Amino acid sequence: MTEILFVLAASVVFGIGVWGLLIAEHLLRKLLALNVMSSSVFIIMLVVAGGGPDGPDPVAQALILTGIVIAVAATAFALALMVSIYRKTGRASITEKGDDDR
Amino acid sequence: MDTAHLVDLLLAVGMVVLALQVVSERAVLRSIILFVVFGLVMALAWTRLQAPDLALAEAAIGAGVTGALMMMAWRRLLIINPDQPADTPRGRSRVAVPVALLAAALVATIGLSALNIDPHANGAGLIALDELTDTSLGNPVTGVLLLFRNLDTLLEMAVLLIALLGARAVSTPAHPNEAAVVETSAPLVGALLAILVPLSILIATHLLLAGTNEPGGAFQAGAVLAAGGVALVLTARLQPGERPGVVTQLAVTAGLLAFVGIGVGIMAFGEKLLVLPGTWAIYVIETAMMVSIGLTLALLFAGAPALVGRPK
Amino acid sequence: MIAELLAGLVFIPLGATLLVLLLPRQARGYLCFTAVLALPLCLMPLTQAVWADGEITLALAEFTPPLGIVWRLDGLALIMLWLTAIVAVPVSLHALTSFPPGEQTGRGFWPLWLMLLAGINALFLSADLFNLYVTLEMITLAGVAMLGIGGNALALKAAMRYLLLGLLASLLYLLAVGLIYGQTGALDIYLVGERLETDRLAATALVLMITGLLVKSAIFPMHVWLPAAHGNAPGPVSAILSGLVVKVSLYMLIRIWFWMAGDWELPAAATALGLLGAGAILYGSLAALIQPRLKMVIAYSTVAQLGYVMLLFPLASINAFHAASYQLLAHGLAKAAMFLAAANILWSIGTDRLHALTDLNRKLPVDLFALALAAVSIMGLPPSGGFLAKWLLLEAAWQQGAWGWLILISIGSLLSAAYLFRVIALTCFHPERRHVPTRWQSPPSSASIAALVLALLAIAAGFTSAPILGLIDDSLPPGGIWP
Repeated sequence: MTEILFVLAASVVFGIGVWGLLIAEHLLRKLLALNVMSSSVFIIMLVVAGGGPDGPDPVAQALILTGIVIAVAATAFALALMVSIYRKTGRASITEKGDDDR
Repeated sequence: MDTAHLVDLLLAVGMVVLALQVVSERAVLRSIILFVVFGLVMALAWTRLQAPDLALAEAAIGAGVTGALMMMAWRRLLIINPDQPADTPRGRSRVAVPVALLAAALVATIGLSALNIDPHANGAGLIALDELTDTSLGNPVTGVLLLFRNLDTLLEMAVLLIALLGARAVSTPAHPNEAAVVETSAPLVGALLAILVPLSILIATHLLLAGTNEPGGAFQAGAVLAAGGVALVLTARLQPGERPGVVTQLAVTAGLLAFVGIGVGIMAFGEKLLVLPGTWAIYVIETAMMVSIGLTLALLFAGAPALVGRPK
Repeated sequence: MIAELLAGLVFIPLGATLLVLLLPRQARGYLCFTAVLALPLCLMPLTQAVWADGEITLALAEFTPPLGIVWRLDGLALIMLWLTAIVAVPVSLHALTSFPPGEQTGRGFWPLWLMLLAGINALFLSADLFNLYVTLEMITLAGVAMLGIGGNALALKAAMRYLLLGLLASLLYLLAVGLIYGQTGALDIYLVGERLETDRLAATALVLMITGLLVKSAIFPMHVWLPAAHGNAPGPVSAILSGLVVKVSLYMLIRIWFWMAGDWELPAAATALGLLGAGAILYGSLAALIQPRLKMVIAYSTVAQLGYVMLLFPLASINAFHAASYQLLAHGLAKAAMFLAAANILWSIGTDRLHALTDLNRKLPVDLFALALAAVSIMGLPPSGGFLAKWLLLEAAWQQGAWGWLILISIGSLLSAAYLFRVIALTCFHPERRHVPTRWQSPPSSASIAALVLALLAIAAGFTSAPILGLIDDSLPPGGIWP
């Protein structure tokens, strides 16, 4: 019951993340949407791995923990990149035409 | 419906509503704050799923550190240009809603159908619980991270270091406005810090030591340590430095140095690659990792290659 | 000894990164270069061992699957590791002058480059779905960061687009890994292949995984991030991204498709992957034809050349397998050579706009020769590694009477000849349109030599097929039909 509920919630959150990623222009918003999506992926990963009376599958927990740390590392780097882009271009967005050419 | 299920329902609804607000809220700062709340609800969800290790990690790293990093990045944009356009999500994309619905439906379908499958009789999780009895550890998650699949953990530390090195490499010269330092001299701040910082060290140490048998471990501890660093940066007790000194470099690489030193060095003693020689090795590696994680996250927060004490 | 050498492939560059961060500035350059030179030295005895005894496996921390992670070194992994080591040495030679280890840009470049090498080697050795994810994240983050060194606004924006798409792709992959783990309780590719039942859930997981990896490999139509990234990255970084980094996820795709899902019988999906390859070849080549800048031509050429590897999926024979491996190898060498040569041209005259590149055969003879030699391999003219790859691919299509693919390969070769001849012609044969460059400096000779060495290796790959193909024959996938 708990599992079904959380899978459903995580699926909706995943969809919301996809939506947010598509409509966001500001890079901070895109990163927020990605982080929301990764949370939902982690929930699904844990729930589908099953478990025993002592709690969920420990390997799945370890994988998710690793995933959480990688997500924060990637986010931190992306934010540094965003600030650099802002310093250079005065915009915190990458959606514009004519980027391919100098 | 009993109370437990009611709590689950509230958490599930809370997750959805908060996620929706995070991506649709008009003001970016509010989005970030709502994201932190979303992370805390996620942490509660992890406890309901009986995964306290993940609950701690989500609260400390997912909500805490990520939220702090985002707020700091937002603050940098404001310092460079105080008058940020009211950036609303534009909603111009026509495909967004159908794609999102499709994605949600797909994930729900596969998630629900995967629920019906019983765990494999010879799955890694069961073997991990079995192998744990041969070790001195009581927390199976720590066992997987430090013993059974420790290459993942070692390379994950490499990812964290790459993020720091990458942030240093791509940083362009700071905008003149950014030099503005916020000096907080309110009398209570010093007293508060005098409690907060030692407390964060204390909690971090507890999480680290507890992690071998109970929920917790180097990552959660490192994040708490980083929180102490964040407090010092925010109150300008620690200020951005130009060049990382040897101590900084040693601290950010300590986790990998210890891990590689022991895990690879052990081969000289006739052991196999990444076999850890005993519980002491786990403690050494975890302590070093905690220091590295804490400082790396604090440096990423400060957006600087190094942190130096406030000039007297 | 074997275990130490395997460890060396990952932990020499990783350990060197740590030392570089701790050592004083003067010692850094030598240390970095020595660490890179150690890679081929590790590979030589390992190659002999694989030759003698076949696949080498090493259970890390002495835990075997399903719980533990295993490194597996077979012929295919060995070829990719050799590609990495062989590209890494000249690229590092180039970087010693383009990113001096003592200067600001070099301080950014070298630790990331060594970390990237550690990640790439760890990925080629790993046979564990989750460990592959971690190594892929190392590679993506390091690659994106290297792209942003120097702070060119175009490069920074390209880096951000690459990163966002890469993170999305990783999420899809990770979701699939979670589903597969839930079903099988295992992460080792071989074991998952044995345990996974071919039902709709597993198929969905496979599709998610493939989609993620296609984005990371910039396969048409998910290539959108690649041209701006590879075309605007600083000098040797373009060579690294195009020569090595995109190959990594393509290699994972091949591993997962043939080793994990080898006996699944998915002809429609295989054809779909082939069609994506066809789209890549046609779109990439046509786009390369109209680019105004040299590096953008080379970048779109990468989009096209990766398409040939995708034809492995519908053809799926020994010949196709030979061809795809050879294409990965030959393209890696030739493309790295081209980007290094382009970096030298850009460095010399300050622009890589094609209309400004006149008369280079006299001004930059070595670099232009390297560019032309590499172009020979990319076009698939004999004798070269690229020729062999395309020839084997044609043979594979011929054997199966796959006329559609046969025609596609031929058209692709003609198009690549067209866009590369355009470049060569513009650089040499227009003395009357003499452009007076605003600046001129001759590139360091070591930078030119680095480009030339890679180009010569791309040609030489055409003569050394027997041992390489022999290695592949020893490491064919466990499942599947291999006529």
